Amino acid sequence: MTEEAIQLREVRRTYRLGKTTVPALEDVSVDIRRGEFTAIAGPSGSGKTTILNIIGCIDKPDGGRLLINGEDVTDRPLHALAGLRNRYFGYIFQTFNLIPVLTAYENVEYPLLLAGVRREERRERVGSLLQSVGLTAHAKHRPQELSGGQRQRVAIARALVTRPLAVLADEPTANLDSRTGNELLDLMAELNETEQVTFLFSTHDAKILEKARRVLSLHDGRLVETKAAELLHAVAGGRA
Amino acid sequence: MTKFFRIAARNVFRNPRRTAFTLLVIVFGAVSLILAGGFIANNFQGLRELTIRNGLGHLQIFTNAYMNGPEERPLQLGIENPAELQKWLEAQPHVTASAPEIEFVGLISNGEKSEAFLGRGIDPDRQSDLGFNVNIKNGRPLGTTSGESEVILGTGLARNMNAKIGDPLTLLGTTTDGALNAIDVRVVGFFSSGIKEFDARALKVSVPTAQTLLDSTRVTKLIVKLDDTGNTEPARAAIAAGLTGMGRSDLGLRTWRDLASFYKQVVMLYSSIFLFLGVIIVVLVVLSSSNTMMMTVFERVQEIGTLLALGTRRRQIVTIFLFEGLVIGVIGGVLGCIAGYGAMLGINAAGITMPPPPSFDRGILLNINFVPGLYGAVFALVALTLVISAMVPAIRAARLHIVDALRHV
Repeated sequence: MTEEAIQLREVRRTYRLGKTTVPALEDVSVDIRRGEFTAIAGPSGSGKTTILNIIGCIDKPDGGRLLINGEDVTDRPLHALAGLRNRYFGYIFQTFNLIPVLTAYENVEYPLLLAGVRREERRERVGSLLQSVGLTAHAKHRPQELSGGQRQRVAIARALVTRPLAVLADEPTANLDSRTGNELLDLMAELNETEQVTFLFSTHDAKILEKARRVLSLHDGRLVETKAAELLHAVAGGRA
Repeated sequence: MTKFFRIAARNVFRNPRRTAFTLLVIVFGAVSLILAGGFIANNFQGLRELTIRNGLGHLQIFTNAYMNGPEERPLQLGIENPAELQKWLEAQPHVTASAPEIEFVGLISNGEKSEAFLGRGIDPDRQSDLGFNVNIKNGRPLGTTSGESEVILGTGLARNMNAKIGDPLTLLGTTTDGALNAIDVRVVGFFSSGIKEFDARALKVSVPTAQTLLDSTRVTKLIVKLDDTGNTEPARAAIAAGLTGMGRSDLGLRTWRDLASFYKQVVMLYSSIFLFLGVIIVVLVVLSSSNTMMMTVFERVQEIGTLLALGTRRRQIVTIFLFEGLVIGVIGGVLGCIAGYGAMLGINAAGITMPPPPSFDRGILLNINFVPGLYGAVFALVALTLVISAMVPAIRAARLHIVDALRHV
């Protein structure tokens, strides 16, 4: 087991918009160590989500290398990375992305079913996580019967249930009111401290930047280490 | 697998209106197949029993020489001592009756006009035992007590000969020795087999009358009636073994199926029509269901992206959609079979009469048979069809690019 959970080496990614090629990431290199609570900041369209997608093995870089838990997975096709996604990552999306036909309990349980975890252990892990996120009473509710905050809590529980190498959270508070967003952020910070779960956020939410112990900022497709205070100052000044 | 089945089953009822529409198409297809298949089965059964009752019987016994080659003269290769054989036959399992019959041809004349005929020498009492229904249109059936030689004519032949009940006619034929012979007969009735072409040439006399004309004590064949058409094969095997045991290896057997060439042609024709109809219905169901399932894929793009992001493999996504097709197919198949059964009962109760088919002079009652195997086949076909319908949408879903799918609104 390496100290670095995720390593990006000179990663490049471009998008084609009609006849134009738009660079999203240019020679991005970064190490994410275990137990970090890291935020990637940047304006809309700066490539925050692209970095998370590449790290989470749901998108491929055009160049550079990606190492997960010390293993270079760059050349493996996306469809061959399904098991790796399930084993190493938990995802929290801006739009919650729960499976509508499954209950809260079943949504959290789903990644464990894919991983082939035994029923007793599944019951124990899902029950414990639903309790952690305060949704034991809502276990049998379907997503449409839950509020936005409750849905995101389910998504957090789902992201944590496999005890992943890292939780990748793409603007997790963007669709929540500030009070709910803060509560969830506190919950994630607590899980990071108590369980040593690695969290990697893409955000421009000042509250996340405040809580983050490490902030990386994306400018013109390049990732730079930034002090949260500077960035918050910039956000307050309306320049980021 | 259970987890994918659970997702699939719940997705089926996610959009009840669309599922209901898909089910409606499936049920319509299933009912069409059940009604068409049941109608065809009824026609097969009707034609089969009609063929058997119209003089074929379930089994016929001939001499092997008769079966292998043409007779140069009437009854030259006929069966000797038929009465003794009949007695033995009627003691065999499943056999309920037997009757001798003579086939012969000749000319019929009223003194002014002559026509070629196809003659049958029959035993009227035995024919009744066989359940052969001579459809007498005018006059009466052949008698067994009258000393006079009698004849009944097919309606078409009677018309051609301008014959009336009670008219004397002359039958001309060739004897077993090759000599020309003639006998006088009296017309006692007109019959119809339902087949116009046959009725224009057919006549029937008693076995003794035919034997007198042909100057022989032999008969062409013995016709055997069984307790049930389904017992034809076991009875054939038992009688064949019995004949061999008796040292009558000069005799051979033919089943109604061997002899009913018209029936076989009709079965082939109807089966082809049913197959064609089935293909059309399957194609319609596939196109309609596939289109509906494709719509569900487009509506669930983000969800599919999420499933893939969580580690669901592409083949597992395919499995989910195939399960959805299977669930709809099973529900549609069950509903289709129930609806088909209901429609069958309704149609049968309505007593609808269909126009007469070609060569028939009377209409037939529209009746749909209950064929358990057909229901099973339709159920399996519907379920399979829906799985096939789900194939393209399933592959389409599994090939979605995860990032694009997650971004999809």
